[in-house]
Amino acid sequence: MVTTPAVEKPSTADELARKLQEAASSKLAVVPVGGGKARGMGGAPGRCDVELHTTRLNRVIEHSQADMVVSVEAGITLEALQEELAKSGQFLPLDPFSSPGHTIGGLLATGWTGPLRLRYGSPRDFLIGIRVALPDGKLASGGGRVVKNVSGYDMMKLHYGALGSLGVIVAASFKVFPKPLYDLTVTSEGGWDDADRALAMPVTPAALEIFSDGRVLARFTGSHDAVDRVIGDLGWTVEDRSIWGRHSGRSPARWARIAAPRTALRGLVEGLPRGAGWWASPGVGVAHWAIASDSSSVMATRAKAEAAGGALVMLAAPDDFMREVGAWGTPPATLEIMRRLKRAFDPDGVLNPGRFVI
Amino acid sequence: MLPRSVVEELRTIVGREAVIDSANDLRIFERDGSIEGALPDAVVLASSTEHVAGVIKVAAHNNIPVVLRGAGTGLSGGAVTIRGGIALQVTRMRRILNIDPVAQTAIVEPGVVNQELSMVAAQHGLFYAPDPSSQKACTIGGNAAENSGGPHCLYYGVTTNHVLGMEVVLADGSVHWVSGDAPDRVGLDLCGVLVGSEGTLCAITKIKVRLLRIPPSIATMLAAFPSIETASQAVSAVIGHGIVPAALEMMDNVTVGAVEAHYHAGYPTDAGAVLLVEVDGTAEATRELTAAIGKVLTDNQGYALREAQTPAERELLWAGRKGAIGALGRIKPNYYLHDGVVPRSRLPQVLSAVGEIGEHYKLPVANVFHAGDGNLHPNILFDMRDRDVLHQVESAGEEMLRAVVELGGALSGEHGIGLEKSAFMPWIYSEDDLGAMHRVKDVFDPKGTMNPGKIFPDPSRKSVHLAGRTGLAIEAKWW
Repeated sequence: MVTTPAVEKPSTADELARKLQEAASSKLAVVPVGGGKARGMGGAPGRCDVELHTTRLNRVIEHSQADMVVSVEAGITLEALQEELAKSGQFLPLDPFSSPGHTIGGLLATGWTGPLRLRYGSPRDFLIGIRVALPDGKLASGGGRVVKNVSGYDMMKLHYGALGSLGVIVAASFKVFPKPLYDLTVTSEGGWDDADRALAMPVTPAALEIFSDGRVLARFTGSHDAVDRVIGDLGWTVEDRSIWGRHSGRSPARWARIAAPRTALRGLVEGLPRGAGWWASPGVGVAHWAIASDSSSVMATRAKAEAAGGALVMLAAPDDFMREVGAWGTPPATLEIMRRLKRAFDPDGVLNPGRFVI
Repeated sequence: MLPRSVVEELRTIVGREAVIDSANDLRIFERDGSIEGALPDAVVLASSTEHVAGVIKVAAHNNIPVVLRGAGTGLSGGAVTIRGGIALQVTRMRRILNIDPVAQTAIVEPGVVNQELSMVAAQHGLFYAPDPSSQKACTIGGNAAENSGGPHCLYYGVTTNHVLGMEVVLADGSVHWVSGDAPDRVGLDLCGVLVGSEGTLCAITKIKVRLLRIPPSIATMLAAFPSIETASQAVSAVIGHGIVPAALEMMDNVTVGAVEAHYHAGYPTDAGAVLLVEVDGTAEATRELTAAIGKVLTDNQGYALREAQTPAERELLWAGRKGAIGALGRIKPNYYLHDGVVPRSRLPQVLSAVGEIGEHYKLPVANVFHAGDGNLHPNILFDMRDRDVLHQVESAGEEMLRAVVELGGALSGEHGIGLEKSAFMPWIYSEDDLGAMHRVKDVFDPKGTMNPGKIFPDPSRKSVHLAGRTGLAIEAKWW
């Protein structure tokens, strides 16, 4: 029987922690919600008694321009944060698909990224502090507001990509970056050969995407002269930079993320069913597949991805399709250790039950 | 002393010669690069993952502490056997198992020396980015355990940004691979949690790292400044112009004097402070950046600006920086070094506080540090033969860290908390923050045999006089 969950929209971290603790002490299942962009990710929650929204936690806590560090509450949208940073010529190098509308907390919990990961890495690399509400009502911080820090365990890594299964992220601090001095986008129709050629250039692209129709889109940033030389050598057509915004807007109703060692990615996407729609960051090792074929093609691709040391994770699909293929695939060999961590932070299993792999 | 039976058991695992338990020989393993030392009950020289796993199993069974040890260059007491037990030395595990030039990865054993990896990778036009000043001696295993940094981490990131996966041995002796070279792996990021855990959660027996292409062009510049304050302002100005150099290092007048006497690298000894700036990339990029940075430096009172004209000149400039701490031995035989980090804009304030503290205690202080990251390295210089001074040195170091924290900083940027800073953890973390970290500790090491007495405050140790003022960072609106 499906019941309508209670919807809680706390406006402070303390209130959120209290709501979480109240629910947990009654063993109610809690599903944290940010922008709701990744609600299709993971197994369908076995139960959902309380939806805990972070959207009212939407403040910029502090942006220290000189230090290039920003602290925000988790419910702020990526766009609102970028707007604040842009005032001082800075930005967070994160351009996830299914934009706009992601919250920072949601992006940290899901680990969704975009093309700029090639140059800047993922938030795993520039998240420098985190504050998390735990099911027992405690608020625990890790890291800080400095760009380099080995004081204690790296709690940022523990919660990044954990899909809210150990706690609810309520605030985060990031190292931010100066907008590049020069930023040019070019395109070709040359497929993988062109993609490989661009990736081997003396200036590594800040982003490089290849599409199932053979189109390649590359973004070069940095030194004016160096970028112009490299683009001259490539001989590709200059493209308006706004194309990246449209690219990040992609959000298929049924899609999967294929992640693999970079050297294995090409083989995996070339093995997709004929006519499949996909796009990939070959320099990173991530591809996204807009699935139009049946579940067996997903299972076959997943088997190949896993054999190459990678994974295929479903990002959204109709319920029956999701049940058929499963959200995550083969659990990692270290699952038992992960489950011990889960029990240490969420002993009653109230957070996102059934949704994450652990 | 370990029971005879345990020593025999260890010898069965690693061989007779590989277990050291004579009082004289154990002295060699008493310390690392920090001040405090403690004798292990035995030293075991492991040559394989099986050895490490076997030793840890025996230790777990007998509730004996195990402290992993690489080159012993650590600066926070991470390798010191403060509660006795087994020092598990992994420097015999020093093979580079694989370099994949296409995937740009390497798999190494923990005892591989940092600089050796870059030297071997250079045959493929690749290098390993994290470059601690001790890179001629320190090991990749130790780097991963401490999440080490180095001058070039300003642009390239610290160790955790370059470790793709690890083979680890947990406290029960079980062996696991965590992560690998595919991104976005399913499940929790155990590898990310274990890097930088200072040997308190696991032993590291293999490390898979990312290698980077050696940039085609590198430019290294040196500029003198009238004072530390003006040099600090120049650092902020460079970054404020949207330029993140590969490295941005500062040395104060005391350091420059010692370095120049030792290396004759042409450092201007009259300067209040010197900045060493490096940029890399294409020839066009380094030319453009050098010109831009040169202008910012001179606009901010920089003078005697010069750029290394040859690779040999560049080497010499870096030899001075990386050998700075050794050169300080000309002033006093011992140093005590903290590595607190502040938000970059607070550098002038924190450095003037450091100077005042040194004067108050009448101890010479030499600053040589990663200015671009805001990562201080005040070296308090002293002579350990003067036993009375040691307490003064520790107090001065503690006050300097206090100043760091009061300016919104953190206790350690790259050296680790280890033994020497564990009592200060409550300065930056609340009871609940530390409690969450403790949950992680208990999951990985429920019996507490892995490097006990590190990171977390130890109530059984001498009380630290200032430690009573807890929760400071939170009062200072950490969030």
